[in-house]
Amino acid sequence: MNFWFTVFRQVGRNIRQTWPSQLMTLLTVSLSVLIFAFFYLVYTNMLSVGTKLGDDLRLIVYLEEQPGPEMQEQLRRKITNFDEVQEIRFISKIEAYDRFVNQLSQNKDVLEDMPHDFLPASIEVIPLKTLRGLTQIKLFSEYLAKLPGTIKVQYGQEWVERFYSFTRLLSIIVLLSGNLLILTTVFMVAYTIRLTIMGRQAELELLKLVGATNNYIRTPFLLEGLLQGLLGSTFGLLSLYLLFDWIKVQFSGPGLLTLFNFTFFPYSASFTIIGVSILLCTVGSFTSMQKFLRI
Amino acid sequence: MIELIKVSKTYPPDVTALTDISVTIGRGEMFFLIGMSGAGKTTLLKLLCSMETPTNGLIEVTGKPIHKLKGTALARLRQKIGVAYQDFKLLTDRTAAENIAISMEVSYKKPQIIRKRVVDLLEQLDLSDKHNTITGELSRGEQQRVTLARAVANSPALILVDEPTGNLDATTTERVMKLLNKCNSSGATIVIATHDDSIYRDTTHRVMELRKGRIHAVNGGMNA
Ligand SMILES: Nc1ncnc2c1ncn2[C@@H]1O[C@H](COP(=O)(O)OP(=O)(O)OP(=O)(O)O)[C@@H](O)[C@H]1O
Ligand SMILES: [Mg+2]
Repeated sequence: MNFWFTVFRQVGRNIRQTWPSQLMTLLTVSLSVLIFAFFYLVYTNMLSVGTKLGDDLRLIVYLEEQPGPEMQEQLRRKITNFDEVQEIRFISKIEAYDRFVNQLSQNKDVLEDMPHDFLPASIEVIPLKTLRGLTQIKLFSEYLAKLPGTIKVQYGQEWVERFYSFTRLLSIIVLLSGNLLILTTVFMVAYTIRLTIMGRQAELELLKLVGATNNYIRTPFLLEGLLQGLLGSTFGLLSLYLLFDWIKVQFSGPGLLTLFNFTFFPYSASFTIIGVSILLCTVGSFTSMQKFLRI
Repeated sequence: MIELIKVSKTYPPDVTALTDISVTIGRGEMFFLIGMSGAGKTTLLKLLCSMETPTNGLIEVTGKPIHKLKGTALARLRQKIGVAYQDFKLLTDRTAAENIAISMEVSYKKPQIIRKRVVDLLEQLDLSDKHNTITGELSRGEQQRVTLARAVANSPALILVDEPTGNLDATTTERVMKLLNKCNSSGATIVIATHDDSIYRDTTHRVMELRKGRIHAVNGGMNA
């Protein structure tokens, strides 16, 4: 009780003495948390979009001519030879035409003069959910393209490829900003604590002489680091949340964001970020003490 | 309380400050340490509170070899030793009250007890009006008394005082000695290093004279 009273008074004194640099550190910590959390937020949302796209992923194999029942069996066997699949659906020329008509709905009159079998027959292959990753899907589509009687295979190649390379780039940025977060927090906190220690060298010497225990001297500095971590990361996350909210309001309605259905971090992720920041800042203040307190 | 056996101190590179000091100071004793400037008085006191380590010999304070203690054990022992340094070591940007409170804060005394003790001590040393004055703005004599107040504030078992009356007039010197005597009669062991013969001239306590770092004479005490 008395211990914490004196500790808090020490912390108050430190902050009063070096508040400009304390504030700078707080801002730096907030900013790096903000940057990291921003990219991480985009990344996690992209991943969830990725799974959603993956759910809809299907390979469409266009055929030269409509296969008879026997041929269908053969093709089915060939396809499952490569890999188990979730579903194989044969689309006849008529079905393809009907679908197209449905899609055009109001403009279907343009098709009036066309023969009902001008679209090619096709096979829709829905791969297993386990078949993930671009290279595997590529291999599968190459295999399908070599089946006898195929014209071409389609799965939105370009789109999928772009999406994958985008998420890979994002993951690199997340990694980099994570490192930035670690470096800035540890070093900035270590630096401010060092400033405080230097500014109070005489007092710390005296405290040792009158019998202050190491805990008495150390705890205020550790607490200072802890506070920096707690406040800095909370501010960072809070400003990200406000930014997120603002963007959501600005771009609400039919647009990119509604398609992606952007969501903020779950509580667990927010608390993890705050926890890790606190840990990093405490480590920063600890290293500074090890170097400059000589106790 | 204090046991010194063949203690020597040589400051690097080769300034010999103390040679072969052996003395025992009992619990509750008041002990005067005299000698010319440079005789080694301050050095001896510094050894007793482990501000310096001896080059040779054994030092025991309350039965513990203080020069070998570290960390929490040393801190605990230091909480029981009050030191008034010759160079004061006051925090010149803090008030007199804050300076005196420090020695009690480190042993986690209750704030209201600290406040009361500070007011009481300032009163006894005739400094009541300096309670909230920054010690950097005090006169040398006032600073000296604040230093003494800080040394005795936590009611330590051992009080080491270096030149407590150097800058004081006769009346204030008397006040200071009255405070030290009061601490002594409530059980504290006190070691006073001084030039000021007015405070030890008529004493019944032991007086040890140092000359060039050696014990020259020990006078007084029980058999005086
Ligand atoms: N930190 C130090 N480094 C080197 N030599 C020192 C140091 N401190 C003291 N000395 C030397 O040790 C000797 C004893 O010094 P000390 O301070 O103990 O004397 P003193 O008896 O307290 O003198 P005074 O009455 O002037 O305070 C002196 O010769 C001094 O120069
Ligand atoms: Mg001296």
